[in-house]
Amino acid sequence: MNIGQVGILNVGTGDTKLSFDKSNPAERIRAARIVADMIRRGYALMVEVERDGVKAFQRVEKFDEEKCEYIIADFDPITAQQADETEVENEQSQIEDEPAPRPATRLKKTSKKNLAAESTRAVAVPRRAGG
Amino acid sequence: MPLEGQRLIIEPKFPNGKGLSEIGSPEEVVQDNGEIMRNSFWSTQQRREILVWQNADGSIEWGAVGCGHHFDYDLHTLMCSQAWGIEQESNAVKTLAALVNHHQFRQYMLTGMFIETSKRSGVSYMFRRLKPTVAIKEVNGAMKILCALCLHPIAYYAGSWAGAMCPTDDVLAHLMLMRGDEPSFWKQSNQHPAWKPEAGL
Repeated sequence: MNIGQVGILNVGTGDTKLSFDKSNPAERIRAARIVADMIRRGYALMVEVERDGVKAFQRVEKFDEEKCEYIIADFDPITAQQADETEVENEQSQIEDEPAPRPATRLKKTSKKNLAAESTRAVAVPRRAGG
Repeated sequence: MPLEGQRLIIEPKFPNGKGLSEIGSPEEVVQDNGEIMRNSFWSTQQRREILVWQNADGSIEWGAVGCGHHFDYDLHTLMCSQAWGIEQESNAVKTLAALVNHHQFRQYMLTGMFIETSKRSGVSYMFRRLKPTVAIKEVNGAMKILCALCLHPIAYYAGSWAGAMCPTDDVLAHLMLMRGDEPSFWKQSNQHPAWKPEAGL
């Protein structure tokens, strides 16, 4: 499976591949429509991302059909956990020094990251029936 | 693909999913002879389900259901093989080859299984062709089996380890969900304890 391709696990004919080749606009439009439809229908679309030089797969949240871009959560659980621990330590040291009124709880916003489909490898898994 | 004698269980949101699931489903036989089911539980010693019921005259009886091995599962899985094709399996194997390293692929081709450890949770998974994925964690230097995770995309045949997709596609689905969305993999899978025949251990 090459970069810019989406492998779809499928019954009948077996795995099918979609390509986001810029030199083939018709195929690109068709692939974009299929990918957007798959996400709407509950397919789990996993894309290959690179974090600190290490390759990993992450689930796609949305797909921008016009730009042909996967939208994923730009969230690293390990970094977030370290940040949370530092935050708790800071809060505790602050409480020990002088008890201050607790600040209002703020919801952390998860930032999004866009990945160009033509340079990303992806695999789509259909809705699961259990086992 | 519906098969004679095999009940296909389809994800209900797929078009005609409910209707297709009814093909091959056993007919419900209602017998009103005054018996009341009192309890059922798993016997670790017998490796079978124990049923306790009350007869019409008030006497209590019990009986063991099932067997301690997974031969029935193996046999049903074998019978479901007519639903798949060599070409589909070959395509799936090619996709898998692009997603795992050479060592894992070699292991898969020679034994039908390979291991990968999740960077997030530290849990190791043994992916097996036509068997549930085994989740393993190291506890005090020893490997402990957490459970066997059974999951099939689209549909599966009841009482077997066969899915609607060819065997390697099921392995691919497990692998990709583990890599990309591990909590969802656990949530959507049927979690069989290691000692149950369904776990295939």
